[in-house]
Parts: sequence; structure tokens; C-alpha cells
Amino acid sequence: MSDYTLTKESPLNGVEHEFDGITIAEVIDQSLVMVAMPRDKVDKIDSAIKKSCGLSIPTMGHSTHSSDALITLWRLQKNQVLAYYPYAGDDAEADIADKLNAPAYYTDQSDTWAMIRVSGERSRDVLERICPLDLDPDKFTIGSVARTVMEHIGTIIYRDGDDSYVLLTMRSFSHSMLHAIEVSVKNVL
Amino acid sequence: MIINHPLLGPRDSEEFVYLGSADLIDRPDWESRTVADDFHQYQYIRENIAGDNRELWYHEQGDQSWLLVTRNTLTHEIINVELAQDVSRSMGRGK
Repeated sequence: MSDYTLTKESPLNGVEHEFDGITIAEVIDQSLVMVAMPRDKVDKIDSAIKKSCGLSIPTMGHSTHSSDALITLWRLQKNQVLAYYPYAGDDAEADIADKLNAPAYYTDQSDTWAMIRVSGERSRDVLERICPLDLDPDKFTIGSVARTVMEHIGTIIYRDGDDSYVLLTMRSFSHSMLHAIEVSVKNVL
Repeated sequence: MIINHPLLGPRDSEEFVYLGSADLIDRPDWESRTVADDFHQYQYIRENIAGDNRELWYHEQGDQSWLLVTRNTLTHEIINVELAQDVSRSMGRGK
């Protein structure tokens, strides 16, 4: 056994920047677990998560919340959902499997993604310059989620409030993504 | 160019990767008596269509689905978009 102890670090060291009407902050308290649903088990999974957490499988591009509002499920693909929820431990996979108690396949992706929240009344002005999706507040409604490309970087965008968006990119792209957002902020202000 | 994804709605073509003719769905039977000719046809022979062309696009930066897009090669107008999975099943392929 080695004598070293590894310390957990978030991809962007908890970066937080305030601008006029825009806040950029790394999200560090959330975990992300992929929940793969075999085609013949979708109904079983839907009723199991309803029973355990009051959740349902969201429709494509939308999210659902558990009855305690802690677990959010995102639907980006036909045969899987992503569970986004506050968890600070080291085994989100076992933790969410235990909470959902459904016959699905779980993969912890928490540490592979960097999560950045862009919020504030001018957040849409910043995002519309880098996001190819229509972010009209009536179209990309609260709870909407999508995977797309921003500045050539594969990105998941989730709207978690009136003027609040969480962007997820692969961890190795986190600094490039932060740079893209900061450049967009400079262009807007 | 905007591709109207059947599940996700309109998406920029930047999110997609182009593969080629939709004929690639119809992979020949490897036990057929005419297998050499069939695979030669499948692999190399393509119509160079000036008009509506059925082609495969992969939503790499999205939900990773394969789409069958009918596109006019003269105008780039996209006439129809279907999930390749559905088309393939309707042809009696897969499960």
C-alpha cells in the first residue's frame, strides 16, 4: 500500500466570477450518474422509481424531480437518463442505485464532467452567442435539458431557474469552456 | 443547415456526422450464393443522385442516434428525417 493520500479536486477549483448581471460559478456539490434502461425494462424502471422516490422517466429534452426535489433526472437519449443530485461522497453509483431501487444499469460520471452555472439577468445574452439551440425562455423552459456543441465542445445545457443555466463539459475541456464563456461575457458587456 | 431531429427537434448540422448512402442499412446476407457481387455492390456502387438522396447522418454531439435524412443534393433542402432504427426495423432487420 502506498503512503500517499489522494485529495479530491474539482476540475475548476470552485471558480466563481461576478460580472454586471452575470455570475459564472463552478457547481461542485452535484453528482451525475448515468442510468441505462434496457428496452424491455423501461416500464418496470418507471414504476420502481415512482415507488422509491416519486420520480418518473422524463420525456426527451426534459427533466423530472423526486418528491423531495433532490434528485433530478435528465433525458437526453432514448435508452438512458442521467441522475443529477447533490452528493459529496465517493460512490455515487451505489448511492443512487440504492435510492432509486430500480432494475437499471448505473455508471458514475460525476468526476468526468465539469459543471459551470451561468446565471443572472444577462445570462441568456452570454449563452446565445455560443449555444446553437433556441434559448427563448418560452421554448427552452425551466427544466429543459439538451446536449449540443458550444465552441466545438460537446456540452450539456440544463436550465435550472428563470435566469440560471448549468453547462456540463467533459472535465478535460473545462478550462476551454470557461474561457469560451468568459470571452462571451466580455463581448456582451 | 438545420436537421429536424424526430426526437429532439431542429438541430444545427454541426452536431452531426455524415456517413453516406442509406443503402448501407441493407447489408447483404453473408451466406448468399451471390455474396461477392452483393458485397461489391454494397461497398462500392453508388448512384450519384442529382435530386432527393437518402443518406445516413449520425448525431454524434447529441443523442448518438442514426438518422435517415432525405436531402435534395441540388438545393440542400431537407425533405424528411426518420430514425434509422425505425426504418431498419420496418425493413425487417434487427430485433
